[in-house]
Amino acid sequence: MAFVKSQPVGPIADDERKQPRDCANLEAELDSPNPTARRWAARDLTDCPQASAALVRRLNCEDDVSVREVILSTLTALGDEVAVAGLVQCLRSENASLRNEAIEAMKQLPEEVASIMRVLLQDADADVRIFAVNILESLRHPEVESWLITVIEQDPLLNVCATAVDLLGEVGTAAAREPLKRLNLRFPDEPYIQFATDLALKRINGD
Amino acid sequence: MTEPSITAQDFEKFREFFYRKTGIQFELSKRYFVDKRLIDRIEATQSGSFRNYFTMLRFEASGEELQHLTNLMTVNETYFFREEYQFQCLVNSILPDLITRKQDSKPIRIWAIPSSSGEEPYSIAIYLLEYWAGIAKWDIEIVSSDIDTQILSQARKGFYSKRSVQHLPEHLLRKYFTAHLDGYLISDDLKQAVDFTRVNLSDRADTRAYRDFDIVFCRNLLIYFDDVSRKAAAETFYDAMKPGGFICLGHSESMSRFSSLYKVRKFPEAIVYQKPLEAR
Repeated sequence: MAFVKSQPVGPIADDERKQPRDCANLEAELDSPNPTARRWAARDLTDCPQASAALVRRLNCEDDVSVREVILSTLTALGDEVAVAGLVQCLRSENASLRNEAIEAMKQLPEEVASIMRVLLQDADADVRIFAVNILESLRHPEVESWLITVIEQDPLLNVCATAVDLLGEVGTAAAREPLKRLNLRFPDEPYIQFATDLALKRINGD
Repeated sequence: MTEPSITAQDFEKFREFFYRKTGIQFELSKRYFVDKRLIDRIEATQSGSFRNYFTMLRFEASGEELQHLTNLMTVNETYFFREEYQFQCLVNSILPDLITRKQDSKPIRIWAIPSSSGEEPYSIAIYLLEYWAGIAKWDIEIVSSDIDTQILSQARKGFYSKRSVQHLPEHLLRKYFTAHLDGYLISDDLKQAVDFTRVNLSDRADTRAYRDFDIVFCRNLLIYFDDVSRKAAAETFYDAMKPGGFICLGHSESMSRFSSLYKVRKFPEAIVYQKPLEAR
């Protein structure tokens, strides 16, 4: 046997396709029974600025993780209000994988997520507030520290504050010192908060 | 005439544009590298200023200058048998695993990207010929791609410096190369073994036709990409591979950091990533 070559590979021309690749058809393809077709439709919808609603709708019922990944990448690329709102909606999902995937996607949208971060951090659902802090973990945005400080100053729930303190230990500066001390006083009987704030203060002070 | 200059704003503007076109992200630390090449091209095209050059780059219908600049901006340093443990993994673990599952007699398809000047795909061919008994029974197809057309032409010529072949055992150098001027010319048989193609991994139109690969080598390319482009590349490879296919990354790269699409396979020689068998 030997080394062989198949037909030369080249771009596929539009007229070679079974279905037209306009936006309406691509949106319809999101419901194809074939996951490969759904992945390619989701990928090509990057060129359709109005596609976020259809992508979000599909995301919420899509059970193939590989298709979900592509949908999330496209929503990240589109990054409009509908896309961000759809991702926020995923934070409320019972599906843990979808929630985590949405968190990862939102980390890639610092400017778009920034505009709704204060709202997310005040959500009535404590889980959503914790997920919002998780997003801050690697959100490249200059406001991250000030958002975290607001959380430890105002959030009534221990778990939310604890998540924020852990992160402040990594990204906090001198500005976080006093708020951390005040948090200690707010939860004087919670050993974890005592431990976590001490650790964060040590890191900030460079001890 | 004064030399054109690149301001911080110019650099940012170019960086953003180049990233959108190629997925390649230049950090600030690469400023000197980028500026020098931009200035060379501004002078070569007689554009006079960054502003004029950038306008031409953006709006030139043929895309010829963008391709020229891309050729200059991509790094193409490699050598034969680089990260050899992965080739050992290929012949000792990956191919045996594939063959036990293979239910047809179609060729085993390998995609090596980026090809750079050809050292990697030719190393794969040599390794298969020398260290894999299965070559007597199976057909192999090696496709190797790069965004840089100039480097592809160099790969097809197959002429290498002493430095490039320094890790090859002497007997293999004699067997597959001819000493020529101040370097080595690879044999015609090996040149025929690899199909070199031009592909921009960040361009959907380019990658769409790449399907049904059993094994992908994508080493030391994704380190130049940012998180979003890495993830997109992982998704592109997913559609380019057969279920159960393998992908090998460079030793400092980890698929798990940016995509959950693949399973980690720990073989004695290397960790590689596998598209799930049940994937469609």
